[in-house]
Amino acid sequence: MSPFAKTMFVIARRDFLSIVATPTFLLFLLAPLFMIAMGALGGAGATQLADSARGAGRLVAVVDAADVEALRSADTRLRKAMGREPATLEIRVAGPDAADPVAITREKGSDTYAVMTGAFANPRIVERDADSNSGRYLALLASDVLRDRAAGAVPPARAHFESLANGGTSIAAQQSMGFGAVFIIFLLTLLLAGQAVGMLAEEKGNKVIEILAAAVPLESVFIGKLLGLLGVAILFIAFWAAMAAGGGLVFASQMDPAAAPAALAAAGKPAIALTAAPASGWPFFITISLCYFILSFLLLGAVFLGVGAQAGTVREIQMLSLPITIFQVGMFSLSTAAASAPGTGLATFAQIFPFSSPLAMAARAASDDAKAVHLLALGWQAIWVALVIWLSVRLFRAGVLSGGGSWKFWRRARPAAAAAAAGAADIT
Amino acid sequence: MSDYSVEANGLTKYFGDFKAVDHVSLAVPTGSIYGVLGPNGAGKTTSLRMTLGIIDPDEGTSRVFGERPQSVRHRIGYLPEERGLYPGMKARDAIAFMGALRGLDWSEGRRRAAGFMTELGLERVIDEKIRKMSKGMAQMVQLIGSIVHAPDLIILDEPFSGLDPVNQERLEMLVKRERTRGATILFSTHVMAHAERLCDRIAIIARSQRRFEGTVDEARALLPMQVRYTPRTGGDVAVILPPGAEQRGDAWHFSIEDKAVEPLLSRITASGHGVTGLSIARPALHDAFVHIVRQVDAGFAADARSDAIEEAAA
Repeated sequence: MSPFAKTMFVIARRDFLSIVATPTFLLFLLAPLFMIAMGALGGAGATQLADSARGAGRLVAVVDAADVEALRSADTRLRKAMGREPATLEIRVAGPDAADPVAITREKGSDTYAVMTGAFANPRIVERDADSNSGRYLALLASDVLRDRAAGAVPPARAHFESLANGGTSIAAQQSMGFGAVFIIFLLTLLLAGQAVGMLAEEKGNKVIEILAAAVPLESVFIGKLLGLLGVAILFIAFWAAMAAGGGLVFASQMDPAAAPAALAAAGKPAIALTAAPASGWPFFITISLCYFILSFLLLGAVFLGVGAQAGTVREIQMLSLPITIFQVGMFSLSTAAASAPGTGLATFAQIFPFSSPLAMAARAASDDAKAVHLLALGWQAIWVALVIWLSVRLFRAGVLSGGGSWKFWRRARPAAAAAAAGAADIT
Repeated sequence: MSDYSVEANGLTKYFGDFKAVDHVSLAVPTGSIYGVLGPNGAGKTTSLRMTLGIIDPDEGTSRVFGERPQSVRHRIGYLPEERGLYPGMKARDAIAFMGALRGLDWSEGRRRAAGFMTELGLERVIDEKIRKMSKGMAQMVQLIGSIVHAPDLIILDEPFSGLDPVNQERLEMLVKRERTRGATILFSTHVMAHAERLCDRIAIIARSQRRFEGTVDEARALLPMQVRYTPRTGGDVAVILPPGAEQRGDAWHFSIEDKAVEPLLSRITASGHGVTGLSIARPALHDAFVHIVRQVDAGFAADARSDAIEEAAA
């Protein structure tokens, strides 16, 4: 191992152990539980708000021109009989240019809870939320129209439900996976990059940094710190992956293998809800998302270290970290926008722009099966990581170890002018 | 192998508009103990930092063992002026960590740490966390950390400050032992007694420039011999003494050039005043240092006065 790599790992090991071998690490490890609890509380509140706001949205039925009146009268009849009045029904006439139901749910200007297309006997119902009242109401309307037309008893409509939230359609599911990857990478990166700055501030505070700077190249200090925290992140991910896998195994061992498809069939749900996969396949998607997480962390961590190293106090670090955090939130927004609009110019921009590239490319791996492009992206991002670390080290050297002086090129002329006047004469 | 472990030429450093170091050159002979002396704020620490390559000089070059200091880091041990250790680390691990940074195997570092600490009477705090140790103890731990990898060059910035007399003596012993091992030692201080006892050569830095370079004796020779003469009989003793001789009690105090010693003794003998006490001694390094620094300060004060006069005239 080269001396550079050796010292890098000495620093990484120190930083890793200084975090992991403390009781507070347990809190950090369990942070997702708090997040889930808070999310559940927030979600409950949001559901209540959504319920109270229901009625402001719409249901859409795309039917043949001949069925419009029958459907409208069925709606008029049934609406009054419902305990809670459903959202307004918008009826559209089916035709060659009729929009895709998923696209209808995303139309701006109105909140669309469910869309029904196809024949009344076996309609396709795309719901915003799985198992929603809105979806069931549309299925009820279809059955009512069938009953109204038939002379005798008829079986109820066999609706084919798809949910946007649970990945009822493969495209929506893949976009959801892309969004999930973007969110997880963003969140972990932000949590850990902030810690890197905190550790550097601590070293500046207790003056260890000068010992490090004298003993090893600053590049290895920076990379060592990033690797140490990356180790923490990987431990964190491995812990939760193991928990999830363990939980999955326990669940699977308790379940009858035939029960799930049967349950789905009984509910009239398509199996796609459970079998949806990223376009590039699960193994590739998980691996590449991990790679993008590493690069995203290295990139943001290097920026944090470089900028944060200029600060002398915790307060200064907070002040300096804020604009970077805001910038990173901007990158998150850009990447989520790109995830929901794959193939657009915006998505391409987000995939190329170095600071959003890891996030946007992870999202792309969910909706696009091209794999070679990821190698290109990883190389591109690695170049930027190296560039940012190089720049951060120089910033650090100029701003901190040189006593907070200004940039070197500002001073070029001054020593030259002063050189003639200078002259260290020994007293003899 | 070069005769000099450190060769720094014309090091200059600005901090903003302030010229912290002005064309300072140092040549440290291999295997010697070399002191960089100077008053507070003279530019000692900045000179050492540039010599080590921690900060880049605005002008000048530094070579350690004939190479860029950055490429021979593993052969250098450095104790910075501002002491720094991880408070949560145990003493033994802190030393091993500093050794590991210079390429020493971790377990070997821990083993050597125990040996050094036992030798310096610190065995009871080997597994103590740094935050629980006194400042002096922590300083000794850091010092051990800077030499645990047996470096060829040891640079110590104000190593004695903050240590009690016992630990100062231990440190002096350690410095001498490292020199015996073959290491070159470069240290800065503003306490002359240590430099006088330890250094083979010294450089005195004042007002950002190097003002003297040579041996301790050469520095002391900058001032005339100090004489204290107590005659046996009274009378007009002053006539046999050089001008400026000052009587304090029974004794006369004055200074003379080296070449005037024998003529003085002849005059005393011939005068018949006799001798109750006579001491002729070189001044201490302390006096030479103060003399040099005062000369520099006087020069600056004169410059400032003439500037003020020119300004007023303008």
